[in-house]
Amino acid sequence: MTTRLVGAPLTRREDARVLRGETRYVDDIAIPGVAHAAFVRSPHASALIRSISVPQPAQADGLLAVITGRDLDGLRPFPVMEPNGARVAEGEAHPVLPLDDVRYAGQPVAAVIARTRALAEDAAELVEVEYEARDPVLSPRASDLALMSWSRRTGDVDVAFAAAAHVVSGRYALPRLVAAPMESRGAVAEYDAGEDALTMWCSAQDIHRSRAQLSHILGRDEASIHLIIPDVGGAFGSKGVIAPEVAAIAVAAIRLGIPVKWTEDRLENLVGAYQGRGIEGDVELALSADGRMLALRARLWADLGGYLLTTTPVPPHTAATLITGVYDIPVADVEVIGARTHKVPTGPYRGAGRPDAAYMIERLVDQAARELELDRIELRRRNLIRRFPHRTPTGLEYDSGDYEHCLDLALELAGRDEPSRTRPADTARGTGIGMYVERAGGAFESARIELHAGGRFVIDSSSSPHGQGHDITFAQIAADRLQTEPGMIELRFGDSASSPGGVGTFGSRSVAQAGSAVALAADAMVGEGAGLAAHLLGVDVGAVALTAGGFVGSPEGGSEALSWPELAEAASDPARTPPARDPGPLEAVARFESANVFSSGAHAADVDIDRETGQLTIRRLVAVDDAGTLINPLLVHGQVIGGVVQALGECLVEEAVYDEDGQMRSGSFLDYSLLTAAEIPPIITGEVETPTPLNPLGAKGAGEGGAVGALPAVANAVADALGGRHVEPPYTADKLWRALHEPVSGTRSEPMSRR
Amino acid sequence: MRVSIVINGRAYEDEVEDRTLLSDFIRHQAGLTGTHVGCEHGVCGACTVQLDGEPVRSCLMLAVQANARSLRTVEGLAGPDGELSALQRAFTEHHALQCGFCTAGFLMAADALLRRRPGALTETEIREELAGNLCRCTGYEGIVAAVRAAAAETGG
Amino acid sequence: MKPAPFAYRPAPSVAGALDVLATEDAVALAGGQSLIPLLNFRLARPEVLVDLNPLTELDHLEISQGSLRIGALTRQATLQRSPAVAAGWPLLTEAVSHVGHAAIRNRGTVGGSVAHADPAAELPVALAALDARFHLRSGSGERTLSASELFRGPMTTALETGELLVEIEVPPAAPGVRMAFLEHARTHGDFAVAGAAVVVVPGERAAIALLGAAPVPVRASAAERAFLEGADGAEVARLAGADVGDRYRRALLTTLTRRALERVLA
Repeated sequence: MTTRLVGAPLTRREDARVLRGETRYVDDIAIPGVAHAAFVRSPHASALIRSISVPQPAQADGLLAVITGRDLDGLRPFPVMEPNGARVAEGEAHPVLPLDDVRYAGQPVAAVIARTRALAEDAAELVEVEYEARDPVLSPRASDLALMSWSRRTGDVDVAFAAAAHVVSGRYALPRLVAAPMESRGAVAEYDAGEDALTMWCSAQDIHRSRAQLSHILGRDEASIHLIIPDVGGAFGSKGVIAPEVAAIAVAAIRLGIPVKWTEDRLENLVGAYQGRGIEGDVELALSADGRMLALRARLWADLGGYLLTTTPVPPHTAATLITGVYDIPVADVEVIGARTHKVPTGPYRGAGRPDAAYMIERLVDQAARELELDRIELRRRNLIRRFPHRTPTGLEYDSGDYEHCLDLALELAGRDEPSRTRPADTARGTGIGMYVERAGGAFESARIELHAGGRFVIDSSSSPHGQGHDITFAQIAADRLQTEPGMIELRFGDSASSPGGVGTFGSRSVAQAGSAVALAADAMVGEGAGLAAHLLGVDVGAVALTAGGFVGSPEGGSEALSWPELAEAASDPARTPPARDPGPLEAVARFESANVFSSGAHAADVDIDRETGQLTIRRLVAVDDAGTLINPLLVHGQVIGGVVQALGECLVEEAVYDEDGQMRSGSFLDYSLLTAAEIPPIITGEVETPTPLNPLGAKGAGEGGAVGALPAVANAVADALGGRHVEPPYTADKLWRALHEPVSGTRSEPMSRR
Repeated sequence: MRVSIVINGRAYEDEVEDRTLLSDFIRHQAGLTGTHVGCEHGVCGACTVQLDGEPVRSCLMLAVQANARSLRTVEGLAGPDGELSALQRAFTEHHALQCGFCTAGFLMAADALLRRRPGALTETEIREELAGNLCRCTGYEGIVAAVRAAAAETGG
Repeated sequence: MKPAPFAYRPAPSVAGALDVLATEDAVALAGGQSLIPLLNFRLARPEVLVDLNPLTELDHLEISQGSLRIGALTRQATLQRSPAVAAGWPLLTEAVSHVGHAAIRNRGTVGGSVAHADPAAELPVALAALDARFHLRSGSGERTLSASELFRGPMTTALETGELLVEIEVPPAAPGVRMAFLEHARTHGDFAVAGAAVVVVPGERAAIALLGAAPVPVRASAAERAFLEGADGAEVARLAGADVGDRYRRALLTTLTRRALERVLA
């Protein structure tokens, strides 16, 4: 390959459409005669439904139908994933609409379909639901029902703890967060009774999982569901499972025979969309006298909410399996309990268990350094994993990495331009390092490529974007392999009618899996092209070689070139294409599957806390990430910065607050605060590229690392500024002020007893 | 009530309910879906349009209040020949957008800012002026860089 | 999040608006930056919305006999950009810059912010520190209230049904006066958790108004007296926060007051 597009910071091609306002998000889809849905939602966190009285269409202006749980006979609740080795409770899956009880405030109870959204909201006020309220369970530790659990014990952990010179323990908790993509969720459903075909436009991360969920819930063949993903205004994990409301409007469209739209509003998104994090844990580390990590115990409780959605069990499992972090800890005893509580379910949100694990282990390592009176960096260096592949005591296999290089680079960048040394009076200053390893990639994706007239390639990818920049990234991968220009490559995504098979866009896996599939499809296309070129030149396929823009062959008497446009023309010409081949565009399909790959990184934070107001100022954040080989550093940088800023929001302001009745108190952007441009500190990034041996690109994943590493870095810096005192995020001014001015309340957690 | 609202120089006339929000009129009655709705309570800024040249939240105005007024939306930013403005070009060059849902609001706010305050703006000024628009993807770095570049270019 | 149905009435005149407000289940719509979110959340559901925006006579900002007269419909952006306000009452320029964001201030009105009486709003506190007078009008006449008479509780004022805030009058700034407004908010443009507005003429006059000490703007009168008696900034600030129950809030208000004093005395 001579052109080197892989590694070039090319700008995106979809931007012009966005900048002109020509994009099409799901609410932009206008179908004549479309009806609109609004939902009656439970005001109680936990209640029995005594009765539901619904208005008839004649009783409300524009009302078409009201659908309750009683109208959904034959529908199944959500399918639920079982992470490797996890136990998942039966009968706890989220129903589309409930029959007899509600388990979180905001749970949809009835779908109201009317001519306009405003009229649907008017009619929803006429639905009378009689509830018998019950006391909600709000703390996962207080819950007596595990929706999922997973445990693993490797080696003789008790012996290691008994023999250890030091045992350090910590109790940690992360609040629930809202993914809050700027476009909330939504869908349009249209049903063709003659064809028994359901067409859905859905703001979703991918077609494959969404369609499988709909198929399961509706009891309808996937083939009869045409799913189209239009432009998607962000997801961050929150659009990998369809909303119950989406299944409800599919039912409405089928029953009423008219298209139905549901556009989730912000209130619905904040109280009703599955949330992220919501995990706490007791973690204990055994160390030798010289600071070698000998064993780890962890018991985690995840606040899973009232029901299982499809991916609800995944983040706690991910957190538990990554709990040993970047350290070579020989034995571990880890358990996670995903408890049922009376809140909206949780699910993946950027990082999806990875920040949880990094937060706990990195805080514990800092605590260990403090108690052992060892330098925090030195303690890390003594225990970093250095040989790959590495099998963790939790059962993961880290493919590759250079953790110490990440740490060194982060320290170098942090030391290079120290943020202003002048310290305002009465300021507590702290620094912190946070390291992480991230499970990325895994499972399969595929791609189909066709050569069209003029040498233009059309690639259908099984993955679909919602802002990441799949289009130019995949074009770069393919163009290098086809020896053509990115402008000759068109990518298509997000239509179940044309997509090859795959899983979806999540878990920092698009480049590693779908990008590798594109690479393999392009390679296969080169093989097809070479075969045709050899036929046309009358030589063995071994005598043709790929060159810029096409092939050269060496027939007798010299060298001859055949360009991709020439091959495209010949392929469709019955006179020139080989007799064994049907005339038509050259085509190749590839499927790529691999085990997980593991990205990693080291982040560093400098913070100041105003002792008088408690205000935390993050002075600077250094983010060093190793996502393997980078295809497009411009877009990777965008992913890193975006992830870091979400983590900074988690550190500074974000928290889904519930009151003692289980009411979500963060039901607007005035209450659930997001950072603005004015709060963002300088962010310095550094890249380490340790290629994975598990795919043809060497690429891992960059989508989540920023959100994983910055959290423990800031957490450790805050604890450093507080003289080692541990406070949970978000680090609000009142919390930090009290930490600085009020005596320690409560007791340190006791070392765990054996279970 | 029947309203006539001029958007990007063209009059859109239609029947609206008294309660119809301006954002809904722009999107669903005028069909200009480049303006997005992100929160309907005035915090996120995605629905920002220009009313007589100044940025306003279209979710916090009623369509009837815009009767006989003149609006500009993202569809009106490019030149008459379709050429992207300096600000729009800078957004691409600085990777100032990912999912694109907030972009129109940022463009309308930044465009008004650049006209009101021509010339180079400091990074702090830009950050504070843009604090009324939320972006969940980019961490704002590219957006601030783009506005800074466009300010330097248009301010000469 | 679509409003419940209401009837929209553009106000034909102040008198016409007062008539509707007095006789119907009506709410006055000014800039709408607080009211329309409440409508969208269906937390406010009036039968009639009287739009004051056509009343251009309420949209004025002028200096008359040394006093600043702010028509109730004056946009917050107009106040913020006024060179006359910045020269004579810089406290207002400073306070209004904390109100929401540019797009909010372009629509939001000074009178709307006052009448809405959000305990976290900046303008009522700044106006309280400036001894502003609030001119109200109803079908039966006019009356004028001080800040302490007007602000009665969270989202509650002395405005009666059928009564409208028409103008805010800020007395002339004394020679040598210095002013500062400081606040603490979670993010830029967010509502303030606490704030302090300080207006002083060293040795002659002191006004200290606090945001977040109570559900209404409060004047820290003990602190003001101590300042006039020559107490240092730390002591004045301590007195300003002394009545606040919550320890953190007290510390915050004390710090903001002290820093505001340090700024004006620097």
